[in-house]
Amino acid sequence: MPRRGWVTAASRAVTVLGVVALIGVLPWLSGRSPELSILRARSAEQDATPEALAAIRAELGLDAGPLGLLGQWLSGLVSGDLGTSWISGGPVGPGLVHALGVSVTLMGAALLVALVTAALLCWPPLHRVARGERGRTGGAVGAALTALPEFLLASVLLLVGAVWLGWFEPYGWTGPSSVVLPALAMGLPAGGLIGRLVADGLTITGTERWVSTWQVAGASPGQLGRALLRRTLPALTTQVALVLVGLTGGAVPVEQVFAVPGLGRAVLGAAEAQDLPTLQAGMLLLLGISAVFGGLAALTRALLLGRALRSGSVPVPARATPSRRRDWLLPGGAAALLVVVVAAGLGRDPLTSAHPRLAAPSLALPFGADASGRDLLARVAHGAVQTVGTATVVVLVTLAVGVLVGLLPRASVGPVEVANAAPPVIVGVLVAAALGTSQAGAALAVALVAWAPIAAYVAAASEEVRRQRHVTVLPVLGVGPAAVTWRYVVPAVLPAAARNAVLRLPGVALALAAVGFLGLGAAPPAPEWGLLLAEGMPYVERAPWVVLAPTGALVTAAVLAVSLSGLSRRPRRPAAVPTGTTAPAPEQPAAAG
Amino acid sequence: MSRPVEGPVLTAAGVERGYPLPRRRPWGPRDVVAALRGVDLSVGAGERVGLVGTSGSGKSTLLRCLLGLERPDRGTVTVAGRAVRPGSTASLRWYRRLVQYVPQDPAGSLNPSSTVRELVSVPLRHLHVPGDHAAAVTTALTRVGLDPDLAGRRPGELSGGQAQRVALARALAPGPVLLLADEPVSGLDLPVRDQVVEVLADLSARQGLGLLLISHDLAVVARLCDRTVVLADGLVVEQGPTADLLTHPAHPRTRDLLAAVPGLPV
Repeated sequence: MPRRGWVTAASRAVTVLGVVALIGVLPWLSGRSPELSILRARSAEQDATPEALAAIRAELGLDAGPLGLLGQWLSGLVSGDLGTSWISGGPVGPGLVHALGVSVTLMGAALLVALVTAALLCWPPLHRVARGERGRTGGAVGAALTALPEFLLASVLLLVGAVWLGWFEPYGWTGPSSVVLPALAMGLPAGGLIGRLVADGLTITGTERWVSTWQVAGASPGQLGRALLRRTLPALTTQVALVLVGLTGGAVPVEQVFAVPGLGRAVLGAAEAQDLPTLQAGMLLLLGISAVFGGLAALTRALLLGRALRSGSVPVPARATPSRRRDWLLPGGAAALLVVVVAAGLGRDPLTSAHPRLAAPSLALPFGADASGRDLLARVAHGAVQTVGTATVVVLVTLAVGVLVGLLPRASVGPVEVANAAPPVIVGVLVAAALGTSQAGAALAVALVAWAPIAAYVAAASEEVRRQRHVTVLPVLGVGPAAVTWRYVVPAVLPAAARNAVLRLPGVALALAAVGFLGLGAAPPAPEWGLLLAEGMPYVERAPWVVLAPTGALVTAAVLAVSLSGLSRRPRRPAAVPTGTTAPAPEQPAAAG
Repeated sequence: MSRPVEGPVLTAAGVERGYPLPRRRPWGPRDVVAALRGVDLSVGAGERVGLVGTSGSGKSTLLRCLLGLERPDRGTVTVAGRAVRPGSTASLRWYRRLVQYVPQDPAGSLNPSSTVRELVSVPLRHLHVPGDHAAAVTTALTRVGLDPDLAGRRPGELSGGQAQRVALARALAPGPVLLLADEPVSGLDLPVRDQVVEVLADLSARQGLGLLLISHDLAVVARLCDRTVVLADGLVVEQGPTADLLTHPAHPRTRDLLAAVPGLPV
C-alpha cells in the first residue's frame, strides 16, 4: 500500500537526518569550552585574554546555538571542510582521509576473512543437505567459538600470534604482516555470525518439499546445492548487511588493541581528547561506510529477488527447529561456571592492594593478583555483579522501550534499522563525547542500541497477533485501535518479549564490557570486566594470568550469550512449506468452491 | 427484539473499489485490479439475502465496504439515508449497533483466554449499548439456544457447536437488525455446520433478524435466503428470489455456480 511505504520511507529519512544532526550539534551537547586549548595550540605566547578567547569562540561558531552550529557544520561539509581540530587547531580532513584509507584496507581484509570463515562453516551443512541428509541446524559449535566480541578476540590474537608465537607485528601499520591479526580479529566474529546464519538457513531450506522433489527427479548434489543457496541467501542479505556494518564497530577496539592508525582509533582518540570536530568528521565517515554496506545489501537483495520483492511475495524462511533439553546444556554449564566464580569471589576484597604485584595463581589466590596487587578472583566476581547489575537495568529499560516502539511497526522502521546497525562501541564513543565517560554513560550507550532487536521482535509478533482472527474481528465489535493495542496485542506479546529480553542479558553484559574495555565506561578502580582486561593488557607477557582471568570470564559470558541467542529465536511449529506472504491480501482468501 | 426500520436497512449504490498491483518494473506504471465495478445492492428490514459468487468475484471486498472497514473508490453505503464510511471508532458505533458481523468459522474469532461472558459483553461495552449488560448477555445466549450457565467457561471448554453459538451470540448482543455473515460455515465439520445453519435459520426466519449471507455454497443459501444476488467480476450479474434463480438461472456465471453443486436440494 502506498501510504505505508511512505511512512516507512519517511521514518528512515528522518532517522538518518536525525543522526547526522545529532553528530552536528555534538559540540553544543557536550557544553565544553575548547577555546583555551585551541589558543595554546596555535601560539604559546599569546595571552588568554577574554577578547582572544571570545574571538576563537566566534570563529568556531560555538555561541550560535545548536541550529547555527549545525548550519555552519553542514555548510562546511558541503564545501569540503570537515572542521578544525580543537587540539591542534588545524583542519581535521587530511588526517582522517588517510585514516579512512587504512580502515577501508583493514575492513576489506576482514571481509575476506569473514567470507572464507563463513564458507568453511557453511560447507558441511550444504554438503549434507544437498546429498539429501536431514539434520539439525549445523555449525553451531564452530560458530559459537568465532562469535566472540572483537575486543576479546583481538586481545587473545595479540597474545598468541604476536607475543607467544612472534609471527606477526604486534603493533602499528607497517606492511602486509600487520594486517593479518587485526583482519582476523574483525573478520572471524563476522564470518562466524554469517556462517551460522547461512548454515541455519540452509538446514531449514533443506526441509522444504521442493528439495525432495528435486532429489527424486535426479538433480545432482551440485545442482541442488546451487538451488539451495539461491533460495536461502536472499532472505539473509539484510542480516548479513548488519554484520558487515558491525565491522565499523569492530574497527574501534581492534585498531586500538593493535595500534592501527585507522578511523576507529581516530574517533576513539578524539573522544578521549574531547576533540569534537575530529570525532564528528570521523563518525560521518563511519556512517558513510555503513551506508555503503547497507546499499550494497539492498542492491544484492533486489538483484536476487527482482519482481518478487515488489510484489511482497518473498518466501519467509521457517524458524529453527524447536529447542530441546540438551540445547540448554551449554548455556546451563556456562551459567553454572560463572555462578561458582562469583560465589567464590564475592566475599573477597576487590579494591585493596594486599598481595604482591602480579602474584602468580596459587591456592590462596586462585586467579593471581594484578599489577596493583589486588585479588583477581575478587575483582572478576565483583565485576560480574557490577556488570550483570548494570546489564539488568539496561535490559529492563530496553524491554520497556522496545515494546513501546515495536507497537508502531512502520513508523519505527528507521530508528530500529539504525539502532540495529549501530555498533554499541560507536554509540559509546558518541555518548562519551557528549556526556563524558562513566558507567552510566556506558549503560546509556548500550541501551541506545539494545532496544532495537526487542522492538523488531515486538513489531513482528504484534503484526502476527493483529492478524489473528479473534483480533481482526474486533473493529466490527466497536473496539477502537487503542483498546486493540493495549487490551489484546500487548498482553499477548509481552511474555515472549520479556523472555527475549532476558535471554539477551549476557550479550548486553558483553557490550558493556566492550565499552568499558575502551575506557569509555567505569573509572579505573572499579572492577568492571572490560576495564580488568584493558588494565591487564600491558602485563600480558610477564603475567599472562592478569589477562586470562577476565578473558576466561568474558569467554564464558560469550558462550552463554551465543547459546542463549540461539534459544531466543523462538521456535515456531515447523511448516512443511513456508508460503507466507508479507503483504496482507486485499481479500481474505475465500475457500475453494 | 428488532427495531422498526423503514424501507431498506442497508443500501450500497454504485460501489467501486480497486487495488493497485505490484509494478512489473520499478519504473513502470501501477496496474489496478478492479474488485468492484459499480455494485448496487439493498437489504430490506428482516430480509434474508444471499450473495453468491466464485472466489475473486468481489464478495469479500463488498463485505468490507458494507462493514465500513474499507472506503469505496466511488459510490456510497447508507443505512436509512445515513452514510457509512471508515472513520473513527466513535463515529461508527451507531452503525455497528444496527448491523453486526459473523466471520468465517465464527468460533475461530473468539479470544481463547476470555470467558464466554467477557466475549459476549465486548460489543456491549465498546458500542456503549445502554441497559443491563449482564441481562443482555443472558438474552443473547438464550437466543442462540445456549444455557446461560456456560457464561463462565472459556472457548476451549466448549464443544465446537457451542463455541460457534457463542460467536453468534456476541454478534446478537448489541441488538442488531441485520447480520452480515461471511462464509459462516465453510471449513466447519458437518454436524457443527448444521448447528450454525440451524441457529441462523432460527434467528432470521423466526426471530425476524435481517441476514446478508455471503457464500459460495448454494445449498446453504437455498436453505437460508429468500433472495439471491450473484456477483461476478465485481458486478451484480443476476438477482431474484432464490428458488427461481436456482431453478432457472439466466446468466452463464450463475449456471457455472449451479453446475458446481451436485444434487442441489431446491
